[in-house]
Amino acid sequence: MSMRLAARIARRDLRGGLQGFRVFLICLALGVAAIAAIGTVRDSITAALQRDGAALLGGDAEIQLTYRRADQAELDWLNSTFDAVSEIIDFRSMVVVDGTDGTDRALTQVKAVDIAYPLYGTVALKPDIGLDTALRGTSERPGAVIHPVLADRLGLKPGAVFRLGAQEFSLSAVLVVEPDAAGSGFSLGPRTIVRTQDLAQSGLLQPGTLYESAYRITLQNDQDLDALKKRADDIFNNGGFRWRDRRNAAPGVSDFVAHVATFLVLVGLAGLAVGGVGVSAAVRTYLDEKTTVIATLKSMGAPRNLIFQIYAIQIGILSIIGVILGLAAGVALPMALAPVLEARLPIPIDVAIQWGSLAQAGVYGLLAALLFSIWPLSRTDHIQPAALFRDANLGGVGWPRFRYFIIILVALGLLIYTATSWSGEVWLTLWMSAGIVAAFATLTLAAVAMKILSRKMASLSGLRGRTSLRMALASVGGPGGEVISVVVSLGLGLSVLAAIAQIDQNLRSAISRDLPDMAPSYFVVDIQSDQLNDFKSMIQDRQGVDRLQAAPMLRGVITQINGRPAAETAGDHWVTDGDRGITFSANLPAGINLTSGSWWPADYTGDPQISFSAEEATEIGLALGDTMTVDVLGRPITATITSFREVDFSSAGMGFVLSMNPAAISSAPHTYIATIYAEQSVEARILRDISTRFPNITAISVRDAIERLAGVLRGISSAVSYGAAATVLTGIVVLIGAAMAGERSRTYEAAVLKTIGARRSSILANFAWRFAFVGLAAGVIAVVTGGISGWAVMTYVMENEFEFDLMSALMIVGGGIAATTLAGLLLSLRSLNARPAQILRSRE
Amino acid sequence: MDDTIINLNDARLSLSANAGTVDILRGVSLQVKAGETIGLIGPSGSGKSSLLMLLGGLEKATGGSVVVMGQELTSMNEDDLSNFRRKHLGVVFQSFHLIPTMTALENVATPLELAGAADAFERAAAELAAVGLGDRMSHYPSQLSGGEQQRVALARAAAPRPQLLLADEPTGNLDGATGDAIMTLLFDLRDRHGATLVLVTHSPELAARCDRTVGLLDGVIVAGATARAAE
Repeated sequence: MSMRLAARIARRDLRGGLQGFRVFLICLALGVAAIAAIGTVRDSITAALQRDGAALLGGDAEIQLTYRRADQAELDWLNSTFDAVSEIIDFRSMVVVDGTDGTDRALTQVKAVDIAYPLYGTVALKPDIGLDTALRGTSERPGAVIHPVLADRLGLKPGAVFRLGAQEFSLSAVLVVEPDAAGSGFSLGPRTIVRTQDLAQSGLLQPGTLYESAYRITLQNDQDLDALKKRADDIFNNGGFRWRDRRNAAPGVSDFVAHVATFLVLVGLAGLAVGGVGVSAAVRTYLDEKTTVIATLKSMGAPRNLIFQIYAIQIGILSIIGVILGLAAGVALPMALAPVLEARLPIPIDVAIQWGSLAQAGVYGLLAALLFSIWPLSRTDHIQPAALFRDANLGGVGWPRFRYFIIILVALGLLIYTATSWSGEVWLTLWMSAGIVAAFATLTLAAVAMKILSRKMASLSGLRGRTSLRMALASVGGPGGEVISVVVSLGLGLSVLAAIAQIDQNLRSAISRDLPDMAPSYFVVDIQSDQLNDFKSMIQDRQGVDRLQAAPMLRGVITQINGRPAAETAGDHWVTDGDRGITFSANLPAGINLTSGSWWPADYTGDPQISFSAEEATEIGLALGDTMTVDVLGRPITATITSFREVDFSSAGMGFVLSMNPAAISSAPHTYIATIYAEQSVEARILRDISTRFPNITAISVRDAIERLAGVLRGISSAVSYGAAATVLTGIVVLIGAAMAGERSRTYEAAVLKTIGARRSSILANFAWRFAFVGLAAGVIAVVTGGISGWAVMTYVMENEFEFDLMSALMIVGGGIAATTLAGLLLSLRSLNARPAQILRSRE
Repeated sequence: MDDTIINLNDARLSLSANAGTVDILRGVSLQVKAGETIGLIGPSGSGKSSLLMLLGGLEKATGGSVVVMGQELTSMNEDDLSNFRRKHLGVVFQSFHLIPTMTALENVATPLELAGAADAFERAAAELAAVGLGDRMSHYPSQLSGGEQQRVALARAAAPRPQLLLADEPTGNLDGATGDAIMTLLFDLRDRHGATLVLVTHSPELAARCDRTVGLLDGVIVAGATARAAE
């Protein structure tokens, strides 16, 4: 039998219309739309990052140094090699404002710039004056511009005076656009921009102060970025610098967007799986209605394969329509929301059609349609022509043929394979796929168990007299697969929501409740060696201060391990990715345990030695006796690892991956870092006293930092919740589809019940009970599976304690019951209003 | 030469239902010669339609043997049975069972297309003209009266020139006059093409128009009820 004949008959058969396929189309379109929308936003951001790379970076390329500025030889090379060079110095400090009712202060991220800044893009200010004018200031003091959040926080208006260290500045304007903001990454304080030369008297850029300098450069078009990077390697001491160029201007933003988008796409795939249940149910319902046609064709000699092809072609056409609808919605939605999105993103983007992500969403949609249609389509095999002689449904019972199992497995494999390779997060995708499959199996088993239980309960003698309840239980436990579809689809959607709610609540608890209990009040940086004793005596005997810890700190980059580039051994481990804090100590600090090796003698002056964090050493694969070259201020120091020690980063206290013997690095300029553990009531006073007495020292409130971090997490959590909500919406569409499919039998049932004297209210109660049972089952199962997923993520991924959040669980169960009951009752009203005589006559 | 086209030997059919197994046919033996017309009569539930289904390979016997056109239907698989029906069988149903989304012409052409006929539509048009529906070819079943629908069904059954025509109470859903016209048409078709006809009916008059009448009661052929009507 040819496919052409199948196509001809399929086309004729489709003349009957697509009414039964609304749920099919909506389910498929919703899942595809969610994935397409996420991909469109992700790719629009990526396109913007590439298009505006130079502006976001502030140059064609950037050489970043930690803790020091370029020396004369390096500057000479820069100036002779490139068209334009601009120097930026970036560091944390405190903005201090003297007011009539006391002194106010806030953390800020200072960007000190030269006259060439910005090489690309434009700084926009309010009032609309040029940056040069703004930074020139007044005759009394230099000018500065600050981020509006900082201006609001301190109540500063243009013309106001504030201090950075010992230098006074006049606020000229607030920042409206900082073109290279997104390239700067995450910072704890809002931005302040000043001229570098105006900081000369501030006392802030002393030797050892924690700052970064960056040299942005413009290139001729034909200059080779990779060749220049190599040359810079030689000039800047083999890797003691960080290179970025316009090809990857904002790695923080692009990585963040990629990670969040990957997770959202996986949530979207879960939505597609939920939609798949609707697809499956719609195909089954459609084929049930086609039983007579199929039986007739079979009675004329149409073989099984031809029948399968006829309906596979129809479902294929519908799948393409569903995918196209989904793709259209997936493009239209981000475009409609573009103004909202752009306002919330750190870079300007143009939301445009992204063909690559649309193709991916389309492939996901088609594979999901294939995966979920094959089984119900295979039921055409079992439809017997004898159905034409008997008033009974003789279709669709039996297992699919082996070939259909193969197709199902291939579709599933392809779906997981494409998701894995496109997401770039192999293990996350595989775990999530396994989770969805496991949730599917669990929900199906639970739904079957619920049906059996309902059937048994319906026959309990205790329910005699409670007709509505008993009939509802009998209906839930009776024949038909709708209950299972609804429990699986809605349950899966609610499971995703429940898991996210559990993880979200646990993370929030960990950050906002548990962490402050053990975290210090302040991190204090840039304490000069000659200030340390005064600083300690000012803080540690104060009432309300629990303890003070201080340690010397330098920053350095691990460039080599055992004489080879660090990346060869450590890969992309965070410890070798950028500069790290390094400390030194003659004695093993109190409370620190060595896991292996031995600490150097207090007066040791031999070859440099390193004590390395045990956990990170294991991750990288380091052993005692390995050597490590660390670039500190442009000077490479090669040392031998002689001990490993326990370092706890989870309590937000002081933790150094690298500690060295004092003789190795104590001669290098360094400052001290301190942590202050104090009662909240004395925190404000401590801050005031530090900034008054030591203007160059910066105190970072851990509470504020946590609040900022929690804010970022809230943003991610709400984005993921929107994704989960789309999944639940798909579940509700499946529910509505099932409720609609059952309308005819409910109408008949209502007519019979009315005929034998049932009141409308008791019939309505009967319908309400059955929908509520289904919602209850979906909700309870969702809370259990969501709870298990949440526990697994918190325990194994976040390595944190898990505490079941009852409130969100109750809300999800309640939501499940409310959604199903409401949708079911609304769709039952027509059944209830139908006149019995009419219904019963038409059934004869 | 043996011209037996149907040979049933102790054919049995049991169906499993929720309440247990129901014996529909309890040992039916019947021989029919090529070109013969058989009237199957009996009360409701006697097994007439089930016997028809066994003959058409639409239902598999659970015991005994069913040989049609020399082929043992009980040992054939699903696809072989489809092939058998496509080549040898035409069925007319009480409820017509036209495909509602196809026009009259397409309904009649479908079995010809299934048989791979290149001129399926031309032959279907001729067949419809032969049953008096030359001007209703592009109408859908819902646009036709019951009698017209059954005439389309007759054309569809006869179009591939089957050697065996099975008719299950073809006038059951029609009024008397229309039913008479349909029966005349059915016998005309059979006479023209020389097919063997097995007709299930409640009507003794209709059965009397057949060469032979076979009576069924509770799944078995009733003794004495098989007689040559012509005799």
